[in-house]
Amino acid sequence: MSQTLTVSGVGLEIAERGSGRPLLFLHAGEGLAPERPWFDLLARHFRVIAPWHPGFGRSVLPDWIGSVDDLAYLYLDLARTLKLHDGVLVGAGFGGWIAAEMAVRDTRGFGRMALVDPVGIKVSGVTERDIADMHAVSRDEVLQRAWADPVRGAIDTTKLPESELAAIARGRESLLVFGWKPYMHNPRLKHWLHRIDIPTRLLWGAEDRIVTPAYGAQWRALIPGATMHIILEAGHYPQWEQPETFVQQIIDFAAS
Amino acid sequence: MRVWYFSEMAYHPAWSEGLKRGSLRVVLPNGHIDPVEAHGLLNRYLDEFALCDEVGLDIMVNEHHSTATCMTVSVPMALAVIARETKCARLLSLGNPIANRPDPVRVAEEMAWLDVLSGGRLEMGLVKGAPYEIAPANSNPARLMRRYWEAHDLILKALSTTDGPFNWEGEYFHYRNVNIWPRPIQQPTPPVWMTGMSVETGKLAAERGHVVGTLLSGGLAKPMYDAYRARARELGRETGPDRLAFAACVGVGATRQEGLRRAHLIADYVRTSPVVAEPFTNPPGYNSIAANVAMLKAGPRAHRLVTDRQGNPIDHRTATVQQFMETDTVFAGTPDDVVAQITDFDQRMGGVGHLLAFGQGGWLDHADTKENIRLLGEEVVPRLRALHPAMERRPAAAE
Repeated sequence: MSQTLTVSGVGLEIAERGSGRPLLFLHAGEGLAPERPWFDLLARHFRVIAPWHPGFGRSVLPDWIGSVDDLAYLYLDLARTLKLHDGVLVGAGFGGWIAAEMAVRDTRGFGRMALVDPVGIKVSGVTERDIADMHAVSRDEVLQRAWADPVRGAIDTTKLPESELAAIARGRESLLVFGWKPYMHNPRLKHWLHRIDIPTRLLWGAEDRIVTPAYGAQWRALIPGATMHIILEAGHYPQWEQPETFVQQIIDFAAS
Repeated sequence: MRVWYFSEMAYHPAWSEGLKRGSLRVVLPNGHIDPVEAHGLLNRYLDEFALCDEVGLDIMVNEHHSTATCMTVSVPMALAVIARETKCARLLSLGNPIANRPDPVRVAEEMAWLDVLSGGRLEMGLVKGAPYEIAPANSNPARLMRRYWEAHDLILKALSTTDGPFNWEGEYFHYRNVNIWPRPIQQPTPPVWMTGMSVETGKLAAERGHVVGTLLSGGLAKPMYDAYRARARELGRETGPDRLAFAACVGVGATRQEGLRRAHLIADYVRTSPVVAEPFTNPPGYNSIAANVAMLKAGPRAHRLVTDRQGNPIDHRTATVQQFMETDTVFAGTPDDVVAQITDFDQRMGGVGHLLAFGQGGWLDHADTKENIRLLGEEVVPRLRALHPAMERRPAAAE
């Protein structure tokens, strides 16, 4: 299902499936999980290209890569390498932050951008949190905040093979390379969102308590012409909790 | 063998509240510390450190943050006071958590200043720090050791360079005119210590010839010491006991019962130390992937345990003195008992030159703490010196 492609000297593991309009999907901090239904559903309508971020899956995290800027340039290079034209750029959670950092730089190759419960901007005061501190609460509370139905998100790690556990541990560590301080955002990004010049849709899980729909409304206000759609009975990962609705939303937006 | 007295300067009046809430660290609001009571305690603890000098003990200070277990927030501040109140004791900073410090040159300055103030009595620990120190410092746990090594190299260069200024444009730290004043008496640098619990740390310390210290478990210490010795041998060096250190609680009494009673109270240090809210115990990146795989495999309800010499698991939060004695976490009894236990430990470990003696555990009162220090210094230390006679107290460089 996956192949390795070297982009700008970085070996990326990429899951690719389907045909038609290209859709570059940038995964959330929790991982890509193409084995969940969303991936195949999406691949019925698009040529889905979904890299594991450097440090996730089998993608290499070289020492010199250390910021979301690096990831944005890396994926812009990937889009150029693949000669994407009129693609749909979709970023979920942490991947939404990367997608926005790409779009403020260069939207050639893409005709649409969908951000799914993205982190990445800071809008409230210094003592207030826009993005829940997932590293100051228990894993149980992270699940409670991230899922409309936490049972769907629970993983029994005692039953997973060591290779998968190593990938989980490596992904958790890699996320922090990019997102520890400032926590899961770039203080300057909101001042550049006005540069985004392709139609942008925000998709938001109604029950997301990592980043709430009210925070999503701030994103919408900062991106020229952006629209927003709330997905019911979903938290931070609508692509996993409501895959059919999520995919239909992407189809409708891409065709609009 | 050299013996270093060590106290975290606990604020034990808040322990019951912290234990009730399940965390003595990070999230226990500081409304639970009475600053006036803390004033009395801090001064009392510093008096206890001063007493060590009179009875022939060396002194170790560490620091923690945002916790009822340790009020020492800055090793250099505490050692500055202690340096003025002591004449002979060597002063071990163990240490500066340099991966959590934004300004390594400031660390080098403070260490040089302490070495000058104390007449060359400083020993300088450059430590990774505990996982729950990540949150108070808001230090990135990912790539922590890369930041550690860059800070380490910069600090040693700043201390040993005499023809600066020099330039440093690294991955994490940037300076264009490094040229610290004063510079240390001990050249090129005061002795450097590291700490850890793993074989990997033993190897890395051996490669640099640093002293390596570990704590509270002979079962974990032995593989680390062996790794140090083996790596040093590969590099053509034999490892003397002066390169290896072990920290344990030490309770001494005129009677065995009294020594055990003191050890029981001192061991509260070990019982309270791990009580911290779950998310702060293992920030991603702090531990290796292999260690995290093992933890994920064990599941969320498994607690990190050490095992005694028979392989039985011991939970640090609830163990008795007897159980702690089985894991080399506690040495206790009469001076004869303690000398015998430490001698046995030293033999099992293949020669350990430094004992870092926890001698204060919160509820051990001032009179007991002083008497414990006196017996340790006057009755135990002279007999432990015979273990590694080459490690006699060196006079301070300025004397």
